[in-house]
Amino acid sequence: MSRALFRHEAMATTFEIVVDGQAEPYARQAAAAAFRELDRLEGELSRFVESSDISRASRLESGGAVVIGEDALECLLIAAEMAQETGRAFDPAYGSERGPELADDAPAFTLDPAAHVLTARARRLRLDLGAVGKGYALDRLAGVLAEWGVDSACLNSGGSTALALGQPPSSSGWPVGMGEGEARLELSLCRAALSGSGLAVKGSHLLDPRTGRPAARALRAWASSPSAAVADALSTAFFVMTDTEVAAFCAAHPDTGAALARADRRLRLHGTLRTLGSGA
Amino acid sequence: MPTPTTTGFTRRDFLATGAKLGAAFIAAPYLARAASIGSGTDSLNIGLIGCGEEGRVLMNAALKIPNIRFRAVCDIWPYNRRYGERLLEKFGHDPKPFEDYREMLSAVPDLDAVIVATPDFVHAEHTNTSLKAGKHVYCEKLMSNTVEGARSMVRTARETGRLLQIGHQRRSNPRYIYARDRIVHGNRLLGRVTNAIAQWNRAVTEDLGFPAKQAIPEDVLQRYGYANMHEFRNWRWFKRYSGGVISDLGAHQIDVFNWMLGSNPTSVIAGGGRDYYPNHEWYDNVFVIYEYPTAEQVVRASYHVLTTTSAGGGYNEYFMGDEGALKMSENPKYTKLYREDRAPDWGEWVKQGLVVRPDSGEGALPPVKPWEKPLSHPPMMSKSVSSVVDVRETAELSAWDMPVTLDKAIHQPHLENFFDAIRGKAALNCPGETALASAATILRVNEAVAARKMLSFVPEDFTA
Repeated sequence: MSRALFRHEAMATTFEIVVDGQAEPYARQAAAAAFRELDRLEGELSRFVESSDISRASRLESGGAVVIGEDALECLLIAAEMAQETGRAFDPAYGSERGPELADDAPAFTLDPAAHVLTARARRLRLDLGAVGKGYALDRLAGVLAEWGVDSACLNSGGSTALALGQPPSSSGWPVGMGEGEARLELSLCRAALSGSGLAVKGSHLLDPRTGRPAARALRAWASSPSAAVADALSTAFFVMTDTEVAAFCAAHPDTGAALARADRRLRLHGTLRTLGSGA
Repeated sequence: MPTPTTTGFTRRDFLATGAKLGAAFIAAPYLARAASIGSGTDSLNIGLIGCGEEGRVLMNAALKIPNIRFRAVCDIWPYNRRYGERLLEKFGHDPKPFEDYREMLSAVPDLDAVIVATPDFVHAEHTNTSLKAGKHVYCEKLMSNTVEGARSMVRTARETGRLLQIGHQRRSNPRYIYARDRIVHGNRLLGRVTNAIAQWNRAVTEDLGFPAKQAIPEDVLQRYGYANMHEFRNWRWFKRYSGGVISDLGAHQIDVFNWMLGSNPTSVIAGGGRDYYPNHEWYDNVFVIYEYPTAEQVVRASYHVLTTTSAGGGYNEYFMGDEGALKMSENPKYTKLYREDRAPDWGEWVKQGLVVRPDSGEGALPPVKPWEKPLSHPPMMSKSVSSVVDVRETAELSAWDMPVTLDKAIHQPHLENFFDAIRGKAALNCPGETALASAATILRVNEAVAARKMLSFVPEDFTA
């Protein structure tokens, strides 16, 4: 019974699973089952896979419709909720050509959950789950691990989103770091996800979907939620939202936390991260 | 046109996140009844035998096809069966679950077709019984782990007059069909085809395990022909259940040799062994050379499958001629067309839209991984006026593309072909007779490895 780390490349990054409290061979097989699920999800959700649901939807013009699988539907429903709730600060359809006939606040696509049908409303729909798909995958991998009876584990996708399941046997949570230098905080995470967005790793890659221009923020933003998919989407949204908007969002959503790096590198904490951060 | 509405959604109202964020129907503007896809008539009732990894792939693909109803799912492992049930229920199907496929066939008499996605050693039994019960059958490849098993399936299909499609799905892939009919044969862009090479290089994989609480009792396993849970999960590596990697991975690509070259081979020589995995029975690597008679010459085709390295670019089938070469793969990243210098100019084909210049047009696909974008080759003529050429490594042949996108799940076109054939609207792309020839081609490799010599085929090897 020791801590074991497993790695797998998918979705253009490296996923890691740390398992505690299981015999290593069993933990290895459970992680392998989770990673097979990850590869399957990549085939459904990646815009770089020609036959994925997301690629198929991204070839649609206004009024066009496709039947999509359960995972694309679930992930797009979460993405739609996040887009709606953040006023499109996060938007999986940011790359679409909306066309003049689409009202400013109208969504670029609609979903019929019972029929599993996606219909394009933008003139040319372009979907990108890059800021929610990896988090969604972590939630699904946690589901696989639960089927295997693996409760004590911590997962992450390329270091940008971490999902802590049950705590390790000898501790109250999983140590997850956030921030740099003196301002670095180490959180003790249990049944919660933390996601970070910034420019240091991939350069200037975050556009504000509301304006189409690069985000004003230059320093990192973090989001926390029980769901890794939500944390993933919110960290992107928080990066483009103003400090005031982020504070208001956390106040309105009690399960959510935010951390914003300031110019002096100190972190401004909101919501659940306020409690977690002060306890660190 | 459907109109946005927030009423009438009985399910997911609304989702984990909605509840957690304290507001239902947050995403309401994103919800709308869709215009119906498909007519609702002509619906086909399907039973699925085998809800494991391949069964799930087929289920997910079939669920994207209109007017298909899954009425029953069958698997001896409750863990798999429940997965199938749950997925289908999310799509509004109401499948009856079964452990034993014979019970399924008698308890759900109005099945039109059965999809068989079980281990190879029971394909013949499951297919033959289903055909005799009057069902059309889509059976996964490899058709059977023995040629006799495959032959019995062809005979049963013939006797019962039911349709039998085998899951060599490349035969329905629009890009493969385009390559064969328009590029290689129709317009002969490769000139005279002289050779073929195919490979599947797969990295080391762990043996499959199972959730501790989900083990099947030993007596149940043995009733269905399995020695134990480990062999049940890793049947592809054991001789009583499977033909090994040459039938698991090689089957797809060797079948494409037969299909693209339009003939069956006359001989095979092969080498292979279990050199890496001490706890498996089947070979972990196999190298093969076939001779194919074609109208113009003998085409020598080599194949190898490795399960210890992914080096060398995954999986593809490469057809080579004196005027060009075609690299085919289910993965478009590995699909390319190359022109030999001696070939007539391809400008006319570009004008006609038959091929497109490299990385041009809207059809150009993004690379699978952003960092793997191919480097563009600078022109050989030097920019400097003092030299006529900068000497460096040989320039690669220029790569051309085919303007075909697979806009569906990879297995979907082959399933659609099967369903269309049931409705009398199409001929099967891979009927049992054809797949039997491929199975005979493929399974002879294991005999050649064991014999350590070249083996010959006679025409009767490929027929029932």
